[in-house]
This record gives sequence, C-alpha cells and structure tokens, in this order.
Amino acid sequence: MASAPSKLYTGSSFFLSDKNNTHVFHSYSMFDFVIADDVSLLVVLMDTNPFFWSTFSLQFSDFLSHVLTFLNSILLLNQLNQVVVIATGRNSCGYIYDSSTTSDHGLETGTMPALSSNLLLKLEEFVDKDEQLGKVDSEGAIASSLLSGSLSMALCYIQRVFRSGPLHPQPRILCLHGSPDGPEQYVAIMNAIFSAQRSMVPIDSCYVGSNNSAFLQQASYITGGVYYKPPQLDGIFQYFSTIFATDLHSRTFLRLPKSVGVDFRASCFCHKQTIDMGYICSVCLSIFCEHHKKCSTCGSVFGQAQADVLSAANRKRKTLDT
Amino acid sequence: MSTGQVIKRAKYKTSVKDPGTPGVLKMTENKIVFRPNDPSSGTKLDMEFRFIEKHKITKEGSNKPPWLNLTNSQGQSYIFEFESFPDLHVCREFVGNALAKSEDAPKVVSDEQLSTADLQRRIKLLQEDSELQKLHKQFVIGGVLTESEFWATRKKLLDIDVSRKSKQLVGFNNSMILDTKPTSDGRTNKVTFNLTPEIKYQIFALKPAVRQAFLKFVPSKMTEKDFWTKYFRAEYLHSTKNAVAAAAEAAEDEELAVFLKDDEILESEARRKIRRVDPTLDMEADQGDDYTHLPDHGIFRDGSKEISEPQHELYRRTLSQDLNRQGAVVLEGRTVDVELEDPRTVAEALARTRNESIGNTEQGRLDRISQMTQIEDLQTPQDHPFAPLCIKDPRDYFDSQQANAVKTLNDSQAKFDRCRLSPEEAYGSLRKSIYKIKTVGLSDPIVSPEVALMVLNGLTQNISSTKSLGKNSQESVLDRLPFATKEELLHHWVSSQELLRHFWSSYPITTPYLYNKVSKLKDAMSLLYSKLEEIKAARSDLRHQVSLIVHPMQQAIEAALSHYDTDMRKRAARGAEKPNGYV
Amino acid sequence: MPQVKIIAKNFMDMVSSLPAMKLDKLYENAFICEAILRSLQPLAKKYVLQMLYIDTLVAAKLMEEWVLPDWFSKHRVALDRLLQLRIFTETVDRKKEKMYRINSTFQKNLQKLLVHGEVLPREPMPPNTVRLPSLEDLEAYALAQWEFFLLQLISSNQAERSSSISSAMLKVFKRGLLSQRDKEAPKLTESGFQFLLMDTNAQLWYIIREYISNSEERGVDSADLISFLLELSFHVTGEAYNLNTLNDVQRITIKDLADLGLVKLQQGRKESWFIPTKLVTNLSASLTDSSSRKQGFVVVETNFRMYAYSTSKLLCEILQQFASLEYQLPNLIVSAITKDSIYNAFEKGITADQIISFLQQNAHPRVALRIPSVPENVTDQIRLWESDRNRVEITPAHYYDEFPSREVFEAACDCAREWNGLLWEDSKKMRMVVKAEAHMHVREYLRRQK
Repeated sequence: MASAPSKLYTGSSFFLSDKNNTHVFHSYSMFDFVIADDVSLLVVLMDTNPFFWSTFSLQFSDFLSHVLTFLNSILLLNQLNQVVVIATGRNSCGYIYDSSTTSDHGLETGTMPALSSNLLLKLEEFVDKDEQLGKVDSEGAIASSLLSGSLSMALCYIQRVFRSGPLHPQPRILCLHGSPDGPEQYVAIMNAIFSAQRSMVPIDSCYVGSNNSAFLQQASYITGGVYYKPPQLDGIFQYFSTIFATDLHSRTFLRLPKSVGVDFRASCFCHKQTIDMGYICSVCLSIFCEHHKKCSTCGSVFGQAQADVLSAANRKRKTLDT
Repeated sequence: MSTGQVIKRAKYKTSVKDPGTPGVLKMTENKIVFRPNDPSSGTKLDMEFRFIEKHKITKEGSNKPPWLNLTNSQGQSYIFEFESFPDLHVCREFVGNALAKSEDAPKVVSDEQLSTADLQRRIKLLQEDSELQKLHKQFVIGGVLTESEFWATRKKLLDIDVSRKSKQLVGFNNSMILDTKPTSDGRTNKVTFNLTPEIKYQIFALKPAVRQAFLKFVPSKMTEKDFWTKYFRAEYLHSTKNAVAAAAEAAEDEELAVFLKDDEILESEARRKIRRVDPTLDMEADQGDDYTHLPDHGIFRDGSKEISEPQHELYRRTLSQDLNRQGAVVLEGRTVDVELEDPRTVAEALARTRNESIGNTEQGRLDRISQMTQIEDLQTPQDHPFAPLCIKDPRDYFDSQQANAVKTLNDSQAKFDRCRLSPEEAYGSLRKSIYKIKTVGLSDPIVSPEVALMVLNGLTQNISSTKSLGKNSQESVLDRLPFATKEELLHHWVSSQELLRHFWSSYPITTPYLYNKVSKLKDAMSLLYSKLEEIKAARSDLRHQVSLIVHPMQQAIEAALSHYDTDMRKRAARGAEKPNGYV
Repeated sequence: MPQVKIIAKNFMDMVSSLPAMKLDKLYENAFICEAILRSLQPLAKKYVLQMLYIDTLVAAKLMEEWVLPDWFSKHRVALDRLLQLRIFTETVDRKKEKMYRINSTFQKNLQKLLVHGEVLPREPMPPNTVRLPSLEDLEAYALAQWEFFLLQLISSNQAERSSSISSAMLKVFKRGLLSQRDKEAPKLTESGFQFLLMDTNAQLWYIIREYISNSEERGVDSADLISFLLELSFHVTGEAYNLNTLNDVQRITIKDLADLGLVKLQQGRKESWFIPTKLVTNLSASLTDSSSRKQGFVVVETNFRMYAYSTSKLLCEILQQFASLEYQLPNLIVSAITKDSIYNAFEKGITADQIISFLQQNAHPRVALRIPSVPENVTDQIRLWESDRNRVEITPAHYYDEFPSREVFEAACDCAREWNGLLWEDSKKMRMVVKAEAHMHVREYLRRQK
C-alpha cells in the first residue's frame, strides 16, 4: 500500500492540471485568466564538500552568492513557489532551508533577503556538525559527497508533498554538485534515480567539477531532467536563470541543452568500481566485476562454466538503445 | 533389398469382386506404382508407402488366389493378384520392409506433423505480428532454423491459444431411461426388459442408490441377473402406479425395498443442493430454459394420474422428481470414461467421481459468488502477486558490502593524496566563505552584463547546434536517425537477438544435429555482422550515432563467434580419435 | 452559443492599456514590478529572468532558437505580452532584425529585490500595542464579509445590514451586475448571475477592476490606486498596520476594501489600524493561479441529485440558480438538477459550461479525485438542454429582390458568397438574403454595377 497513494496523486494531479487548462478556456474566457501550472517545488541539493571547494577555482562564497540569488528569483516568480535546500556534505546531509516553514519576515536585515540569512545560519550549523561527524569517523579525506543521501532526502520530502493533497506544486530536483562520483554509492544512487523516475520527478544537474559526473548524467537522462556543465563559472547565475529556472510547464515548449554522450557505465556490487564489462546475476541482475560462485545479493548459485569458454560466454553488455 | 525395387506382373483390383486389370506393379522404397497393360485403362495407381496402414495376404494352400491387400489410413484397400505365391512373398517382404521404414520416418519429423489447428495458429501469429513474420521469413525460409526450432522459443505464444481450447465432452443420452419400455408378448404375463451396458450405465448415473446396492449385493448376495430382475420388478411396480402393491412387496423383500424407496443418496444430495442455492442470480445459466412451448416434451409417463394414499407416500415417486434427476444427470454429462462392458467397474467409477465433484462444486460456488459480487467498491484491491527480492542472509550481504566499500575508500583515499588539506583547513576555508558572504552580502550585480550576454550566446549556440539531434532530451540516439535506417537497425537487432538466443542455447554441442545448427547459425551471424558493417559505412554522415547502436550488437556477435572458434579448436584438438567432434 | 456577457478585460490588460508615461511611473515601485512579473505567463517569466542582467539588445532570433517549432505561438504570446506591458521594447536594427531590450527601471528593481530583498513601505505595529485576531478568526471574518456582500447581490431584501456597504462600492455593482428599474427592487442581470458562479478570486478581481476603472469619476488616479492595491497585497496577513501611514485617498480606499473583507479595520484608544486578510494578500498571486482554491463540497450523482455539504446561505442561493432545492439539513443541502431548474438558469443567462465548471470546481474532495468529478451523463444532459434552446439562430440580415437581370442577380450572389455572407437565395424569383456584415459590401458592389 505504501507506494500506491503517491502514484495516485501524481497521476491525478497531472490530469487535473490538464483539465484546468481546458475548462479555464470554457468558463473564464471572459476574464481571460491564464491559469498556468508553473507552481513549482524546487529541491536544491548543494554540495558542501570542503575538500572540493577548497581546491576549486570558484570561491564557495561566490558560488553561494549565485545560488542564493537564484533561489530568490525562483521565489520571486510565483508566490506559491517553494524552495527546499539540502546540503550534501561529506559525512551527512541536512535540510538547511525550507521556504514553506521558514517565516522570512523576522530576519529582514536590509542587506540581503531573509532567505539568504536564514540559509547561511543553518549552513554554518550544518558544516560544524559535518565536521564533527568526520572527526569521529577519522577515515581521512573522502573525495566524494553523500549524494545518495541527499537524493533520498529530497525524494522523501517530495513524497510527503505528494501525499499532502491533490493540489501540490510540481516538484523537481536540482543537484548543484562539484565533487567526483563515489562509486560505492552506485546502488543507492541508482535506486534513488529510479524512484524519482517512477514518481515523475525530473532531476536537473549542474555539475561544476572537472570531469563529467556519470551519476548525474544518468540521473538527468533517466528522469528527463537537464544535465549541464557550465563552462563559464563567473556567469553561473545566468546558467541558472536560463536553464534551471525553467518550470516544468514551460519545458514542454522549449529546447533545453541535452547531453550528447551519457556515461552509462555501472559500478560492480562487489568492489564498487566502475566497470565496462562484467557479470550479471540472471536472477536479481546484480553486477559483478569478476566471476563468483554465488550471488552475494540473492544467493543464487552460479553454474560452473568452463574456464576458457567463460570469458566470452557470460559477458553481456548493457546497451543504451534497448 | 539391395535392388531397392521390385517389379512384378499383377492384376489390380479395387475390390474383392473386381475382376482386375492386368498390368505391372513396381514397388520402390517409398512408392507403389501400378501401370495397366492397356494404357487407355483408367486404373492407374501411384501412391506413397507412408499412406499405407496395413497389409494382408492370402495364405498359400487356401483356395484363394495369391492376393496382396494393402489398406490405407482411410480404410480404402488396394488388392493385387499375383501370378504365383513366390511373387506374392517377394512383394510381401518388400512391403513389410517399406512399411517398417516409413513408420520409422515419421518419428523423426513427428514434431513437424502438426494438427491443422496448430498450423493455423502459427499462421495467425505470423499474420498478426509482422516483425515475427519477417524473422520467420529470414530464418526459417532462409534455412538457418527449422520450423520447430523457430517455434520452440515461442512456446508461450502458442500455449496461450492452446489453453483456450477445451476438449468436447461426450454427452449423456437424453432420454428417460427410467422408462425402459417393457415389451410383453401379450400372451403370457411375462414382461421383458432389454438391458444394454449403456442402459446400465445410465441407471447407475441416475440412481446412486441402485449403484450402491449393486456394489453391495453383486456378486456376494445375488447374481447380476437376479439384481437386474429385482430392479425391473420394482420399476414395473412403479410404472403400474400401484403404490399399495409396491408397499406390500417391499415388506416382503428387503432388497426390493431398496429400489422402491426414495433414493437416500439422492435425498441427501438434494438437501446439500438446497443448502448451496446460489444467492445470486445467474442470468446466463437461466437463459433459454424456456420449454413451455413444448407441450409434452416426449414424456412417456403420464404424471396426471399419480394419486395415492398418504401412508404409501414413501413408495411414491413423482414425475417431477424423475425429470429433475434426469436433467441433472444429463447436464453433468458423461463423467467417467471407462468401458461400459463391466457394470461393476462402471458403478465404482461413478461412485468415485461423485465424491470428487462434491468438493469441486463447493469451491466453484464460492468462486462464482465472489465473481457475481465483484462490485468494485466492495472488493479489497486485488494486489497482484509479486515476488520480493530475497536477500538470503542480509547480515552477510550488508557486511560484505560494507567491507568492500571501506576497502575501495581506502584505495580512493590513496588516490586523493594530492589534495593535501587537512579536514580542519578545508572546513575552515568553507566557514570563512560563509562568513564572508554573511558580512558582505550578495555580490551586486551578481553577474556583469557582458558575462551574462556571453553565457546566453554560448548557450544559444549549444542549443542550435544540438537542434538537429531531435526535439527533446528524452529521445534516444535511434530517433535521430532517418526512419529507414532506424527500421533496418531495429530489424537487425531483433534478428541478432534471435540468432544469439538459438546459438547460446545449443551449447554444449552433444549431437550432430546441434553441430549443424550451430554452424548454420554461425554463418548467419557473420552475414549479419557484415551487414551491420555496411550500414555503418553507408551512413557516413551519421557514423557516430550509428556506431553507438551498432557497436554493442557487433560486440555480442563477436563474442558468439569467438566462442564458436575456440570451441571448434578444442574439438579439433580432442577429436583426433573422434572424427565427428561431438561427445 | 450564447454570448458571454461579462467581457471584462484581464487586470493586466488594464495595466497594459495605461499610457506609457504612467506605466514607467508604475515600474518605479518594486512591488508593482514583482506583482506584474508574477502575473506573466511562465514563458514570459523565464524570458524576463534570463534578461535580468543583460543590458544590451538581444536578437529575436536568438530567443527563437530556444523554442520548439510546435509551440511557437506560446513564444509569440509571451513576447507580445511583454511588449504590451513595456517590459521589453522592440527595436529594428539596420539589417531589419528585430531586437529586444528589457525596461531598465523594471530590471533594476527586480535586481534589487533579488539581492536585497523587499522592504515594505510601512512597518507592522509592534504586537504588544494591539490585540490581533487569530488567523482563523481573520479568515472567517473575511469570508463572512465577502459572502455577505455576495448575498446582497442575490437578494437585497435578505441583507439586514445593507447600509454598511458604501455608496462607492454599490455604484460599482450597479454598473453591470444589478439593474434597478424605478421603484422596483434591484434585480440581478445576466452578468450578475454569471458573476456568482465564478470563484472567489475571479469575483474579487472583477470587483477590483470595476473599482479601479471608475476611480477617475471619484477623482482618484487609477495608477495610484493600482499601485496601492498591489502594494497592499504584499503586506503580511494578520499583522496590524497603522492607518496614519496612509494618505487620505488611501484611507478612503481602505474603508471601501474593508466592506469587502479585504482588510479588517480596528480601533484602539489612540490609533486605528488595518489588518490585511487573506483576500487581499492573495490579490497579486490570484492574477495567475487557481491553487488558492478552497475545498469543494458538492457531490453530484448520476441520478441528477446534488448534495452540497455547506452551511452557507449564499451557497444555497447560488445552487438554487440552477437546481431545485429538495431539502436542507443543518450542514447539507440536497437539491435536484432538473430540466426546469436548468432552463431557469438559462433564462437568467447562465451557460451550461458555467454550471458544469462550477460543479467541477466545487466538487467534494471525495469525488474530486474521480475522473470525471461530475458524472458524464449529467454534464452531457446539461449541455443537451442548452443546445435544445438554441435550435433557432438569429442572424441580422438584409433581404434583396427585384434584380434588374439574372446576370446582376448572379453577380450579386457571387459577391455575397465572396464575403461569406450569403444566407439564402432563390434563383427563380431572384431573391436573396445577405448577412448584415456583408450588406455593405454587396450594396457597394451593386451600386458600382449601375
């Protein structure tokens, strides 16, 4: 039963929105109100990996400045727009801003919108907590951030919104990411991606790191979002406002950048390495980089193929056009 | 038969009485040809041995001439009269061999011999699915796969149709057998009943009590003949409607009483039936139950005169009871499938099915009620059954995952030595950035107009350059190709899948048959490979996109081909003593 | 199809029809910029956002690159609206290429909003000096006030407090919604009935629009009024604002708005203040969206019976416009949709589509999830009843006869056909009927023939 309501709501809400459009033309043509469904819920996943930012050419403060301006502009576009920011740290993730619960009027300072000061306060707390967790762990520098965690949090939040009623804003996720992929998160991230696809939540990704992120490319490709790697970092706001501010309603009319080549490589379940070719359990589709006697996921016993035949016989290739 | 054929003079008769047409009979391995001496005669014969079902000959020494009688599967016979018995024997031997051979032959192709229904189903499937038809044409007609191989992988398609077809049941004779008409010779008081196994079966089916009594009494207490005599005596008493006499007789003879009393088994069954009267109305079943326009409906007994005193109630059977019973049994149909010769086996079989069906009907009734009451709102949602992913030992799984993850982390840590910052420094710089923006505020303007314009121009250029790649980000590479190429690639993809499926499923090679199949498949795959190569070459403008799609297909085929080669080499190495190469 | 009688322009159309001078002045107020930005179509919003930091001309071609070919009309509509509102200005360069530039005042204001946040022109009064009603009370008050006002429209005799509606407001409604013949009680016009079936935001905007459009008669500048109203919509619901911060004109306006339940006026010992309600803070948002809709309460069954879970007297009155009341329980109104009741509604000028969309919009949450929320047989029947009434179509026309010759007659017929105005012809007797629109052309043509 758990997943049924969410599906129902998404389905009906999409339908309702269609219907609204049509009957508006019927009945309110006299008022010529264009009832547009651009009410959006934007969940921003912000990478706060200190190792990335301290080695990166763009200052984190500049980046924050661009992001905050962008968030303000989203809230400016429609009174009912909602913005949620989740910090993706090294050791933890956390909600650092939610426009639906924060009352923006208490902290008006005059120098910057209330959103920014609220968010920055929470961000500082988060960074402290993240550092504390890192000390306990004492594992040393982990290059990647916990993208899987923040994706899951975003999806949970969106599921709650779906359940709140038929008239909810249209959600989408925006990943602002810079640190490299953590292959050990492969399974968790893919699960999050597929659950986003199922609930029709597009994942946009703006990747500022040096190489392309295969995870985010796949995430955007599978969920129908936009993946973009901005070449000019001092103009990030312009990328935000031109590409990522586009609400889902307008996306039907527009041409948005699309990635030409998507890296579809998977990580193996056994050593968490990105592999080109590997073994797939025919029962549960787990991926392994070397031959095992037994599937570690479902326990199926693999047949003993002849040693020399094996290399060719069991290799299958994931193709993108199937 | 070293010669492989026999030629004899013979006369050909279409029937025993036919005087026969003289001519020459020529028999080859699979054919019989008869040519009359007179070419104008119409009695030519040219037929294959596989149509012949049996052969008979006349015995030497009997007064009959030497005849060979061949009968085909339709029961038509061909008689040949030879000049002498030695001729006949030669021919008989030949025919015997030939028949044995042609019996062997169908065994090999037996799965090819399909009922026409099967054939029609396949044809229908092919007509419905043009993709399938294309494949069929390419591989089956192209000789890569045989018909049965092709369909073997598609059993499911065929099965669905098969399950729809149910066997037709043999019906139950719908005449009131209870009215087995006595024939009297008119002179004496003797009344004769004619009894056939069929009638016995019907009596058993209609009257469970009689069946029970039969099992009880015969042959321990009385013979079968006595049993039936007693039964019909009771029946006769009923038919005369002499309830008083019936009661009197029953008092004298307890066995007779069994037949005269109401059938207890029937009664209990009736009670059960009343209990399970369906609360819902089955309109479909009641349709066409309207017999009112038929006044008499062929009833032999006249129910109107059935009056009797209340004290003999026990021995009275009404017409409606009989009719109902008859109707019920007819509807049930013939439930047992045994030889009707032995009344005892029939009775036992019937008793068995009765017990089984009670359980079934109960279940059926419940099903039907739930079907009838299937109003959406009242039903709990019908959850489709699913098989949950079963992780055999979760602890084991997660532990090993964890261990591996940590291991890779350590690996990657080594890799990331170049970022030589301590966590303190890194977090410190992050915090400094946040502090900075808190004090200074957002930079204004956030982007300079020049940069903004540059970015917008750059993005627009990006957009227009990818314009040719299709409408939206959702479509795959395939959609960007011209339609013809796309279709072609799709078809090649389907056929490569089909070939690979057959290829891998024939390993390990154990029979020469598989050996041949694999080599045929290999040829077809190499052909396909080169075709793919051609497509790549032909669409030079879209080379990148095409190769994106073609590459994985070629890789799969390559893997199969190389497997074939290594297997061949191994066989060659091993097969010095076994020239065939298969184990 | 019956003509829709209220042809009120969109509020933004009204804004865009203001002279350029006034528009530019309006844009000096950041709140108006924000309100107007929010009122735009999503696509237009996106265009504004992407031009926010660009101070040069941008080629039209460049923007067109982004649009999918099938949706070019959307792009056109969005740009037209931006040009109308003078947010974008169009210039044609030497190569005859169209270029756009964003209004710099508008741009500066939005940039400021993004970076510095918004600053209201007046601070709310500190909470300890005033006793504020709870948000629920405030909303109840607003709705009650609004309903009372609507009820007055339907049956003025029922309104006991009729004197409380100011003359300025009543004047507004008399314009279109009420008709008053001498000595008779005011009656609702067709537009009045249509008005009742609209949802609250639409009604509100209709009233506000009327209020603004006859502001000139009261000697109030419409641009000032617009900017004040939009500004008001950015105030915080439930906070108190001192009346001293307003000028005289604004104070009068506030009093009028209080009658409608847009604000609540309260008086302390020394000062008086106003508290904005949801109605007014929704004003700028409701320009575009319908999400502020309240929960529905109507269940329509396939047997044409209608159950409305409501205690509202107003609603009962509205339902009676097109359904016959069967019985009323404390929280439930049961009525039946009958041919007579629907015909009654048609008589009043309510259209089938309006009734249906009213039922759909107010569908009870239980049935709202169903698709369709109103049974199809009911909606179909209502539409059928409507089309029953429209079997005869009246077209104003002119009748021609006594043509001098067959040639002239045929030529005239052709001419009328060309203008798509030939309704009927009788070639034997040489007579024809021409639509009124085509009459001028045919007459002109015949005159030339002579």
